[in-house]
Amino acid sequence: MPVVASTRHVALTVNGRPRALEVAARRTLAELLREDLQLTGTKIGCNRAECGSCTVVLDGRAVFSCSVLAVEAAGRRVETVEGLAGPAGLHPLQEAFIEHDAVQCGICIPGMLMSLKALLDATTSPSEDDVRQAVGGNLCRCGTYPNTVKATLAAAAALRERAAAAR
Amino acid sequence: MTTPPPGRLLVHGEAPPPLGRDLTVIGLPLDRRDALEKVTGQAIYSSDMSLPGMLHAKILRCPHAHARIRRIDTSRAAALPGVHAVLSLENTRGWHTYWYMIAQPAFPEELAYAGQEVALVAAETVDVALAALALIEVEYEVLPAALTPREAMAPGAPRVPVLDVERPRDGNVQQPVYVRARGDVARGLADADVVSESRFTLPTQYHVDIQTRCCVADWDGERLTIYEASQGVWNVKRELARSLGLEEDRVRVVVQNMGGGFGSKAGAQRVVHYAARLAMLAGRPVRLELTRPEEFLSHPRRYAGEVTMRLGARRDGTLTAIDAEIVLDIGSGSLYAGRYTMTLHQISELYRCANVRVRVVAVYTNTGPTGPQRGVLDPIATFSTEAAVDDLAARLHMDPLALRMKNYAEDFQGLDDTTPPLPYTSKHLDACLAAVADAVGWAERDRLAADATGPKRRGVGIAAYCIERGGYAPFSAKADVVARPDGSVEVQAGVVEIGGGQITILPMIAAEELGLPAERVDIRHGDTDGTHYAPSSHASRITSEVGPAVLQAAATVRARLFELVAPRLEVSPLDLVAAGERIHVRGVPERGVSFRAACALMPGPEIRATGSRAPNPDDVIFRLFGAHGALVEVDVETGELRVLRIVCAHDIGRPINPKLVESQQHGGAVMGLGYGLYEEAELDAKTGVLLTPDVHQYRVPTALETPAIEARNVESEDAFYPYSAKPVGEAPLVGVMPAVRNALRHALGFGIDALPLTPARILDAIAARKGADAR
Repeated sequence: MPVVASTRHVALTVNGRPRALEVAARRTLAELLREDLQLTGTKIGCNRAECGSCTVVLDGRAVFSCSVLAVEAAGRRVETVEGLAGPAGLHPLQEAFIEHDAVQCGICIPGMLMSLKALLDATTSPSEDDVRQAVGGNLCRCGTYPNTVKATLAAAAALRERAAAAR
Repeated sequence: MTTPPPGRLLVHGEAPPPLGRDLTVIGLPLDRRDALEKVTGQAIYSSDMSLPGMLHAKILRCPHAHARIRRIDTSRAAALPGVHAVLSLENTRGWHTYWYMIAQPAFPEELAYAGQEVALVAAETVDVALAALALIEVEYEVLPAALTPREAMAPGAPRVPVLDVERPRDGNVQQPVYVRARGDVARGLADADVVSESRFTLPTQYHVDIQTRCCVADWDGERLTIYEASQGVWNVKRELARSLGLEEDRVRVVVQNMGGGFGSKAGAQRVVHYAARLAMLAGRPVRLELTRPEEFLSHPRRYAGEVTMRLGARRDGTLTAIDAEIVLDIGSGSLYAGRYTMTLHQISELYRCANVRVRVVAVYTNTGPTGPQRGVLDPIATFSTEAAVDDLAARLHMDPLALRMKNYAEDFQGLDDTTPPLPYTSKHLDACLAAVADAVGWAERDRLAADATGPKRRGVGIAAYCIERGGYAPFSAKADVVARPDGSVEVQAGVVEIGGGQITILPMIAAEELGLPAERVDIRHGDTDGTHYAPSSHASRITSEVGPAVLQAAATVRARLFELVAPRLEVSPLDLVAAGERIHVRGVPERGVSFRAACALMPGPEIRATGSRAPNPDDVIFRLFGAHGALVEVDVETGELRVLRIVCAHDIGRPINPKLVESQQHGGAVMGLGYGLYEEAELDAKTGVLLTPDVHQYRVPTALETPAIEARNVESEDAFYPYSAKPVGEAPLVGVMPAVRNALRHALGFGIDALPLTPARILDAIAARKGADAR
């Protein structure tokens, strides 16, 4: 017979917005985002931390949300692809992904973008190898990788210009 | 014979009149129009759908490679609270699913492979469905299994209970066995100064679409609506209607986005049939999503092949004979209607040779089903031919590129009476080979060996291809273009955007014909409601088959608008041109009206035109050509092989959107790299259970392994294609594996004849070579 799951109260911040809900103790962060909050931009491709489609940023670090329990995210800050664009418009990564055609079927793109968001939050001067390492856990069967690298380096340059202009 | 007949746009009825001006949209590197919703997470895939009252389905699978169901009892599962429908052979006897209209028993009594579907449950939640599966009682009679073609062809082998039940067979060998020839291969071999024999082993490949199969089926008592991840809404609609005994207009199929297909989702998949039938039984929407391991177990993967190639040549390199024998492992069903001619012609036509024989034997085994994957059989045929040519070059002490050019074939030579000699629509393979040789550093090839120090060796390899693409039966693609009084324009096409840029390309064609910027044209797509039949987005066929239909429809709309505008301008419609969002007198841009104003003149709510693609003519032959080059580095102590550069030159005609073409080149090269170097599945030899059903063990390439990929495409006119745009979806994969293998051959001084080229396989080959040298 199906197990009656025990639930926990989880309060967390998703894309800057405080959220509080009752979740089953065994629910993953990916399930919480997709099913409880209807944030279906985060995808599940393997559900065992092998493909990277479910990548989100948790307290500044890229994590596989299929392998983080929702209760582990309590009190923490979650960023998903839906929160990447700000009031001022698209994130430079999104603009560069469009411009350099780093998108084909698109299913891996939310995960790719969030891995790279974590990278560019840490440094706006990544090397090409840094970029490849950052998405080393994000599988793309369409083979967009050359354009992923090109787009990310372009986005990093745009962020540097933006920072310079702000000074 | 080298001049093809004058090209023509392949449409039914009159070809549209010329534009009368230069192209303004075709050839632009425009952003793909679905990119914005994909980078913001707004793109909805079938797995993101949630309908009110939706149930969740799970599948019970056979644990044995070959078994008969003695008894099955689903009553306890059906009685579990929360369960709404159960499917098994108990309540579906005689039911067939369809894929490319190939009938397959939905729940056979005798099961062909470990992982085959035995029963399904639809329940309130996934947990309840899984609990119900555990309550299904199945008593199996376990039977002996044949896991390889060798076992399956042995005397007394168990008979594989196949999925493609209507195909003729002799034992486990599908019929017919194809043998095609020209000339006399025995004489050609006898006339040769050198006969080089090679045996190659090509593995299967799994598609590994990052979106696992997921279908949501909704039955309202009258009409079935399917939200799917399929490459073709119309294929699914027709196959499902036939399977369920519904009139076609009672089935609607919707695919707005899909997470990877690569051939594996070209028709109505078994999951779609199951979800539909469960929804009809339960009277509620049903969602059926496969897990990653289930993907590996059950989807129709690429054919594996064992190939023996014998090439005969004179001392000067002139080919006198090509003798090829291919044994394909088609698993428990070849879901591709046996298009093995694809293999035949790639081997017989890549080089000029008077004496050719190709034999293709397709063998059933107790493994999962097989089907098309990017390039289908092209990789097996091309790898074998191109690796064998390098082996022959070594025997002849000839430069492999010079050997290729020595035997260059201008025309299609044909095989016995099934295919006559014909000119190609166009062929520039010589220019492709020259471009790749230049870009990959062929001239400095000899120096690479001399420069080797330590355990690292570098090598350069090249491979050409000739593949069958450019239009397929039934040649019945149609598309509409609609203009409305407010000046809006919409393309309506029953095609699916699979990531190839289909929904970016088709509006570009309509925009060009109407003198509009591309973004002014909308597209309705991925829905059988409101569109005509179009083929699945497979076989590289959308631009070349649906493109002409869109072009014709848009040109017809243009002609109707000209008729409305001409009296106002007091000219003949023949004097008008559509350009820059205006319709004006040719050569006098100021004498005209805006496109919007022209549309406002229409008497009714819309101007609608339908275009349709005509069959390929029979006095010319459609093939694609190109070449790949690779620079590799191998560590002879660790066996590690690194591909440092991949270069390609495709004979592409003219790109409609060069940005999208480049992405296809990347995609093909990366998937080819996986096939050539990393992707290896393993079956347990005793039980037939797949030991590698995940992307941890079955390794697909990541950004870390992907090298620089450079293109030196050769552009030319070919009027049999819209704006000379030849297909580019699959060709970019085909030459990668043989180019890498030949580069490794150059680096090591001997060839390795099995893929993938893993460190273990390379070290074994080096050790075997040393052992042979020592004896």
